[in-house]
Amino acid sequence: MQLSFDAEVEDFRAEFAAFLDEHLPPAAEADRASQSSSDVPEWARRWQRLQFDHGWLLPGNPPEYGGRDATLVQQYVHLLELSRRRIYHSFNPQGVGIVAASLLSFGTEEQKRRWAVPILRAEITASLGMSEPGAGSDLASLRTRAVLDGDHFVVNGQKVWTSGAHDADVLLTFVRTDPDAPKHKGISVLLIPTATPGVTRRPFASIIGSHDVDFNEVFFEDVRVPAANLVGPLNEGWRVANGSLGHERTLLWLSFGERLDEFIRDFEPAGPLDEDAYATAVLDAYALRLLGSAALAQAARGEQDVAGLSVLKLLGSEAAQRALERALSSAGPDGLAHPALTAPYTHLQSETMLGSWFERYARSFAGTIAGGTSEIQRTIVAERVLGLPRR
Amino acid sequence: MLFEFDPDQRLWQGSVREVVAKECPPALVRAVADDGADTVALWKVYAGLGWTELTDPAEAVELAIVLEELGRATDPTPYLATMTQFAPLAPGAGEPERTGAAVLDGVTARRDGRGWVLEGTARHVLDGDRADRLAVVTGEGVFVVDAAEVTATRAAVFDPVLHVADVAFGGVRVGQEQRTGADPGRARHIALAGMAMTMVGACRRILDLTLEHVRTRHQFGAPIGSFQAVQHKAADMHVAVERAKALAYFAALTIAADDPRRRVAAAMAKAAAGECQSLVVRHGLQLFGAMGFTWENDLQFALKRALAGEQLLGGAAEHRALIAKECHAVEL
Repeated sequence: MQLSFDAEVEDFRAEFAAFLDEHLPPAAEADRASQSSSDVPEWARRWQRLQFDHGWLLPGNPPEYGGRDATLVQQYVHLLELSRRRIYHSFNPQGVGIVAASLLSFGTEEQKRRWAVPILRAEITASLGMSEPGAGSDLASLRTRAVLDGDHFVVNGQKVWTSGAHDADVLLTFVRTDPDAPKHKGISVLLIPTATPGVTRRPFASIIGSHDVDFNEVFFEDVRVPAANLVGPLNEGWRVANGSLGHERTLLWLSFGERLDEFIRDFEPAGPLDEDAYATAVLDAYALRLLGSAALAQAARGEQDVAGLSVLKLLGSEAAQRALERALSSAGPDGLAHPALTAPYTHLQSETMLGSWFERYARSFAGTIAGGTSEIQRTIVAERVLGLPRR
Repeated sequence: MLFEFDPDQRLWQGSVREVVAKECPPALVRAVADDGADTVALWKVYAGLGWTELTDPAEAVELAIVLEELGRATDPTPYLATMTQFAPLAPGAGEPERTGAAVLDGVTARRDGRGWVLEGTARHVLDGDRADRLAVVTGEGVFVVDAAEVTATRAAVFDPVLHVADVAFGGVRVGQEQRTGADPGRARHIALAGMAMTMVGACRRILDLTLEHVRTRHQFGAPIGSFQAVQHKAADMHVAVERAKALAYFAALTIAADDPRRRVAAAMAKAAAGECQSLVVRHGLQLFGAMGFTWENDLQFALKRALAGEQLLGGAAEHRALIAKECHAVEL
């Protein structure tokens, strides 16, 4: 056990810090804020491209894909440094973190060149089409159909909760290609450009307020998609899903750590009850970091424990939610402020995460619902970590 | 930082587990509780293995590994008091085969000629009735006193394996050579981390027993561990144990490195252990149903050890109050 990183990791961090100090875009350049998770303003596109060109966008990637072949531990300190400074490296987080990553893992060379690199260089943006009205926690029951017709797939069906779809150029879409196979076996993954005839996107507002529009329903009516847009082998989509989300999961807990860190920095306890809740959040934040770094060290040795990551998600997402509820409660009548009026504008971070306590509390449910609800995580921990029998 | 055991520590943990499984089995704990069986032989095993020599703060993680396993086994010896309460207050006391306890408050030292006279009665002294030596914290410093000099009365407590005593000092004369120069503040970090580690071990035992029970107990034609209401409580117990364990080892690590965060880390460890036992005791006893509500079931030992830990050295709420005052950012 050690309290500090090895020197080569600290050197790496120092090099990144120096890059940030030199190249961070000043606030004056940021003339417009991002409006959705696939809306990247021009200045933020330049910022993302600059990181790509210097190998700092996803340091674990090889140089041709915006990285520098960094180790997992180096990738971790890269994210820690961004988090510490409250900086977003991309305003298209799913495009960069999941869509492009999936293409680099499962795509053809042509798909990497045609789609992954432009997404990473912020020339285009991408969203992820997984959930459907009837397929949420039970994702494998998805029903959007794709039928091969010559050199095209014909897609019919509907996605929902598709974040940023109305601003995205392309959707990484999970579709059913074999309706007769067991449900996990007949799924494939298609890149569907949103400009394709038959694609209809209907954005809708979240519980935060009528101004907060990121989610979409996406309808596919006889959408013809070139067969060349199939990502990974036919009917092997479940493996792609696990692979692309698996990568994300290794460091997903960091985002809950960020929410907790922000709470710890921003909340001023007003009395003993506040202080008590505050201290609990401090314990949660430390424990999450410690357990997360242990999981990371394990993954770096090639012993990824996917079920164990559920412990981190459960701990982090629920801790953040508890803390933020306390902060809202403690704010009294000031906590009533309309969310659209409360977020401080900080150009390098999605400022919604720094809005009113109401907004932060409400958004904390994204942590306990998205990416496998807390109930699903508990079942995973019980059955796959603790070895309890399945029903 | 990267928070995982190095290969030597993993090896150490494995060998400690083996020894504890062989030398301190549930049957021995049961015999101590029911028949007052002697624990001297077990203590000698620990001493013979060198476990009582782990008094250098640099070895705090190795000591924590022992304490976790002993907490899990409901160790009936005065190991915790000796190693985490007495030893830090009596550096250089030597004689690692002898047991010790700490008197943390209730005793005053009055100057008398070249020495001092200790007066007062300390309450709730862990192993105060059976330790060979006592380290006594007073306003004039810390003194090491032989147990023969004091009158100790074991208190009846709910944990049948735990020794807690009232220790009376009726004018005990001590000299400069008995004064240790230890810093009680720093010693307290080790005591807190040690108690936290013990509680984490006890909570792990509660979880293990509970898992075994819900896997084998059938109702409505299925193992009750297949019901989500049961599974989700078990998952929460696991999360609580992992959280408390991480913070307890972090405290040990800051002690080993003499890191400035050691004070807050020790408070975090004790607070998290307290929160952990609250959830794990509650869910564990609940999931065991009526079967856990008996003297006969070994669940009681781990459960009472975890609960007793919360009563000693300040509970979770007290430590949270300190954390709230001293922590304003996550420094990791």
